Amino acid sequence: MRKLVIARRASQAFFLCLFIYILWSTTYPLKGLFPTKTFFHTNPLIMIFTSVSERLLLAGLIFALVMLVLTLVVGRFYCGWICPLGTMIDWTGALRKKKPHPGDRVNRWIRKGKFLTLAVIAGFSLAGIQAAWILDPMVITARFVSLFLIPTITLLLNKVFVILIRDLGFYGRVQDVYHGLRSSLLGIEPHYFSSSPVIFLFFLLVISSALFISRLWCRAVCPLGGLYAVVSRFSFMSRVVGDCVGCHTCVPLCRTGAIMDGRSYAKGECILCMDCVYACPPGVTKFALPAVGRRADKGTLSRAEKENGVSRKNFIFLMLGSFLAMGFNWPERDRATGAVIRPPGSLKEDEFLSRCIRCGNCMKVCPTNGLQPTVLQTGLEGIWTPHLVPEIGYCEYKCTLCGEVCPTGAIPQIDLWKKKRTKLGTAKVDRSLCVAWSKNWHCVVCEEHCPVYDKAIRVKEELVDGVIIKKPYVLPDLCVGCGICQAKCPVRPVRAIKVSPEGADRT
Amino acid sequence: MDSFFYNLESFLKERISRKRFLKVCLGGFVLFLSNSTFLKAAFAKAAPSNGRPKKDIKGDHDLVLAGGKDPYTNTVKAVEKMGGMGRFVKEGDVVVVKPNMAWDRTPAQAANTDPQVVAALVDMCYEAGAKRVNVFDIPCNEDKFCYEHSGIAKAAKESGAHVYYANHWNVLKARFSYKSPMENWPILRDAVKCDTFINVPVLKHHGLTGLTLSMKNLMGVCSGTRGLIHMDIGRKLVDLTDFINPDLTVVDATRVLVKHGPSGGNLEDVKEIDKVIVATDPTLADAFACTLVNRDPMTVPYIKNAAQRGFGNTDISKADILRVNT
Repeated sequence: MRKLVIARRASQAFFLCLFIYILWSTTYPLKGLFPTKTFFHTNPLIMIFTSVSERLLLAGLIFALVMLVLTLVVGRFYCGWICPLGTMIDWTGALRKKKPHPGDRVNRWIRKGKFLTLAVIAGFSLAGIQAAWILDPMVITARFVSLFLIPTITLLLNKVFVILIRDLGFYGRVQDVYHGLRSSLLGIEPHYFSSSPVIFLFFLLVISSALFISRLWCRAVCPLGGLYAVVSRFSFMSRVVGDCVGCHTCVPLCRTGAIMDGRSYAKGECILCMDCVYACPPGVTKFALPAVGRRADKGTLSRAEKENGVSRKNFIFLMLGSFLAMGFNWPERDRATGAVIRPPGSLKEDEFLSRCIRCGNCMKVCPTNGLQPTVLQTGLEGIWTPHLVPEIGYCEYKCTLCGEVCPTGAIPQIDLWKKKRTKLGTAKVDRSLCVAWSKNWHCVVCEEHCPVYDKAIRVKEELVDGVIIKKPYVLPDLCVGCGICQAKCPVRPVRAIKVSPEGADRT
Repeated sequence: MDSFFYNLESFLKERISRKRFLKVCLGGFVLFLSNSTFLKAAFAKAAPSNGRPKKDIKGDHDLVLAGGKDPYTNTVKAVEKMGGMGRFVKEGDVVVVKPNMAWDRTPAQAANTDPQVVAALVDMCYEAGAKRVNVFDIPCNEDKFCYEHSGIAKAAKESGAHVYYANHWNVLKARFSYKSPMENWPILRDAVKCDTFINVPVLKHHGLTGLTLSMKNLMGVCSGTRGLIHMDIGRKLVDLTDFINPDLTVVDATRVLVKHGPSGGNLEDVKEIDKVIVATDPTLADAFACTLVNRDPMTVPYIKNAAQRGFGNTDISKADILRVNT
């Protein structure tokens, strides 16, 4: 009976499903069983380093500390039992059964990588730059699930129903099921995201690393794993090997390369996958909390620890060295902020870029699908941040969802009263394109759709050949820049009314 | 995998005889044909449609105007005076009640049809023996917000109607017996393939046409780039009304938005006149509704176009109008 291994696999599958469920239910009216920020608020890497770099206390910090305390008790259980990315990496790794087992020397080198990334992130956050998002596993997985996996599945489901209903003529019952699904919590709403293939490729790169060496990402790159490894070195629970016969069965078996010979192992590397417990031929391996007054194998463990990981000296050296990388940052410079429309009430561009972790929650929840990931419109440092593309979808006047799901407050949570008065930008009529101005046609679709109660788009009436033509113009003071005018403007291919981020309210 | 590569290699290395070449060509051609037929079946384009058949059911009067505090009773009374819902809805009919729920606004803001009017109609349809009542619209704002905040989805669901989000892919292409700018316009299939169509607009101000009425409300069953309908709107809307042929038009004038339409929002712009109009002729309903807000019907482009074409009755003085108070 491999009870613990089965339990671990069940836990992995459960948390992966939970992760996908939470992201799937990140949609209007936000009535999922769990808060949409669950996995981010329990993520110490994001919470701690964002708090440090932004000099504030995030609400999720308390949950993150609970996770660290738990890790201090049992070890890196998060990586082995919960992490959705770890689960997918395990599944990918299982596709290739016979992976080469790098020797102890290589293992020792590989595992240093994640401390390097952690050190760089720590150094940056001390200097006020939040770099945790770049390699954080939750963020990478959430972005992949929200912006690629769910849109793809819903698109496929939707296509199946379209073919069934429209083309094969199954109206009636099937159509009712489809309508029910569309309005349910896990609704079928095929959303489109502009750079989802890039996001998919990035994710593929991460998980396919497991084909070469098992859990290569978790061992070498993952900064969250690094943080947990730093803590779990001191964890109370440890692997205890009784009368080891020296068969070395467990050494190549260990998926993180933590076991060095029969007895000693790098404690920070162990993710408690429990494989070695059942593979041990004499069955003497187990994990146990030390009994009071007895220190289990302390000598062996500390010797092993000294040979592994990164020494304190090196860690500090790396951290200081990472300051060199800040040469890539542009401080106090007017960034290319004019390029894109940010979500309503977003922080000032510098702060926004630093606070936003690119998790994709706001884009997933946006009911009109207007929030899209940027690719390089705001430079490399702004990659995958949200921006509004009115041609795809406008900002719904009475909607505050993006602020409600942002885990770090890059888009602050604002109430409806304030949202209606928050400017995203200002619309402008291009009179050379507008059919009312240039061709004297009846139109004013933009005026019709303007959600501002007193209408930010007004019309000028001109008598042309005995007919009154209404020609639209914008009152910049009233315009909130929601972009519905641009979205609904019938002029093609370039819309005759466009929103620019001019005058946006950024707190 | 190995055997696949072996076969591929041997296939590539083999010299191609004429017979084999012809075989491969024929095979490819058959594959192409079957594939394209399959694809055509699987990805069929919208079918053409000539619109709903004209039923021309007449009521006891041309138009009934009901006034009173409660919109629900108003609607019930007005339809009763018209001869009852049984005249329009037969046993086992599929009915579409198409309210105006185009905007993310509350009922008090008067941009959408009053939920009670819709509920009353749904109730009456079921009493008359309808098999199924569908309530839907293609709103201008996000459908989830419009359906919920307008209160219509809740009210109609409580009455037992099927309320659902319209699908832009489930459309038919409009065909006309005359030349029309609406030719080939994608129109919701569910709105065309039904036994009874009840149009339930709300009387309110509109920036371009002056007033939003029953004909304008039919834009809610159109997919495609609807903004283009605004160019030459009069003719297009009359053609659309001719295509849909609503059996019954119920104009909700409980609260009237007199300014900043069609979306509105300011409560000061809302005038409560507590009226419901029921008519069988959409043109007459529209023309009469104009008089409620002291507007000349001929200033509204689609009524003017209808009058020019002789579509429906635009002359109120000639109509048999019954006014009731509840």
